[in-house]
Amino acid sequence: MNRTALSPSRILAAARALAAAVVLVSAGFVAVGCDISVGRAHELVITGSTTVLPIAEISGKEFEESHPGERVLVSGVGSSAGIEAVSKGTAAIGTSSRDLKDEEKGLGLFDTPVAYDAIVVIVNPANPVTGLTKDQVRAIFKGEITNWSEVGGPDESIGLVNRDEASGTREAFFKIVMKKERFADNAVILPGTGQVRAVVGDAEGAIGYISLGFVTPEVKALAIDGVAPSPATVESGEYPVQRTLHAFTKGTPTGLAKEYLEYLLSTEVQQGTVREAGFLPVRPKDAVR
Amino acid sequence: MSRGTYLREGALRTLFFACACVAVAAVALIFLFVGWRGWPVVTDIGLGAFLTGARWASSEKAFGILPLVAGSGAVVLGALALGSPLAVATAVFLSEIASPKVRAVVRPAVELLAGIPSVIYGFFGLVVLRPIVADLTGGLGFGPLTGAVILAVMIVPTIATLTEDALGSLPPGIREASYAMGATTWQTIRRVLLPAAKVGIIDAIVLGMGRAVGETMAVLMVVGNATQFPHGLGEPVSTLTSQIVMDMPYAAGPHRTALFGMAVILFLVSMGLVATVRLMSRLK
Repeated sequence: MNRTALSPSRILAAARALAAAVVLVSAGFVAVGCDISVGRAHELVITGSTTVLPIAEISGKEFEESHPGERVLVSGVGSSAGIEAVSKGTAAIGTSSRDLKDEEKGLGLFDTPVAYDAIVVIVNPANPVTGLTKDQVRAIFKGEITNWSEVGGPDESIGLVNRDEASGTREAFFKIVMKKERFADNAVILPGTGQVRAVVGDAEGAIGYISLGFVTPEVKALAIDGVAPSPATVESGEYPVQRTLHAFTKGTPTGLAKEYLEYLLSTEVQQGTVREAGFLPVRPKDAVR
Repeated sequence: MSRGTYLREGALRTLFFACACVAVAAVALIFLFVGWRGWPVVTDIGLGAFLTGARWASSEKAFGILPLVAGSGAVVLGALALGSPLAVATAVFLSEIASPKVRAVVRPAVELLAGIPSVIYGFFGLVVLRPIVADLTGGLGFGPLTGAVILAVMIVPTIATLTEDALGSLPPGIREASYAMGATTWQTIRRVLLPAAKVGIIDAIVLGMGRAVGETMAVLMVVGNATQFPHGLGEPVSTLTSQIVMDMPYAAGPHRTALFGMAVILFLVSMGLVATVRLMSRLK
């Protein structure tokens, strides 16, 4: 049973090696930043926060319809990646669900606030706990409280679900709720808002946090310090975990980016798309026109 | 041979030689590039802090890869422990026991396992396997166990195909001699065929290990990505490959350098595994 040189397994192995090489080479290009897609004249590249993604996608489509010939390319890779992309020039607009960090302030980025958002602590609907204080949430995410019975729930260990370090939601949560104290090391790290929601919706002991706009019946939103998250309590300022969603441009917006941002800030989009996506419109005093 | 045929033969030979060179050039270029980008690890972070640091937290500028190495190790060894016996047994079945009809069904099925995109494995692991592991171990079900089970299935085609090759390339005489001595099928497999194909099987397992070490997407989706040392089958860990994917989109400065440093380490591990296989084949 002598195998010929071209046995199926050899071909398979060769094909696999080739595929791996192609992937590695292209990964190398992406990594070094040899970006080819800086954007052509009629193409607007928007990238960054997964929280801002729904607003950017819907308004991008509508913008394309009202501006024939223009293309809006939207992707969600995390706020930090968005800021990185816009400062390197690989995207015209970088969206972010957090403020700039100190080391990012010198990059010459221009901030256009596009919406307000609340961060909501979510648990499984089967969990009888309905509210926590901010201090309790902090103790849970620091790993000091590890069982639901310590906060009035069943005798079940708490499964922490955290976001990755590129996440603007994590950064905002870290600042507002954690008061910059370190997260527990044993939390599961998930790279997207949707994944956090899916896992918490599926695992009874889990706790996580997502943007208000992403809350669906598959998870239960907890009241914080006695205030339930809702557009009304966010707008009135009662709900304590709030933040601003940003669109950054390199310098003041020009050309297509300017037209798009003006459209995004129009009453029509702010009162329509932004509200429908579960966020709150920017107050006129904050909007940069 | 006419002059035209001669030239054509020569041109074809050159063409095929050039194709073969592409693979070598690609490996060399990738290694040079990754090495060049990863080299500043020595100056920016310090080789000691990088290789033996016990904490990976990019926001705190802590770039010690030890927990990630441990995480990779736990997942890969678990996958080998579960996957190798399964794969070798499959190969023995296909090569020695199965009737041609059964083989015609099982072999393509095993080969198909290699063709399924890894994100599908990851999704299956996340949705189906994770809740089962959560029930078994407590916690959320992310961790080395889920990762190992998924990887075990993923490396079966590699190990099974290569083991089958090893069994198939044994001289038919030894099989016949064994049966002629009155040995049963099981005795022949255990006492004659497996020992005779030992080196080939170890090669297969080492190459399967290479696949397990390099797998990224499926692992990323099920291990939980917590950069802590493994301390339970159902406690989240992170691996070298999955951490590179998680961090690459936003990493800058020393963080990015550290990721390239990790890539260099993965490269060296792969090279080491291939070299092991080469050495063992020579011993055979």
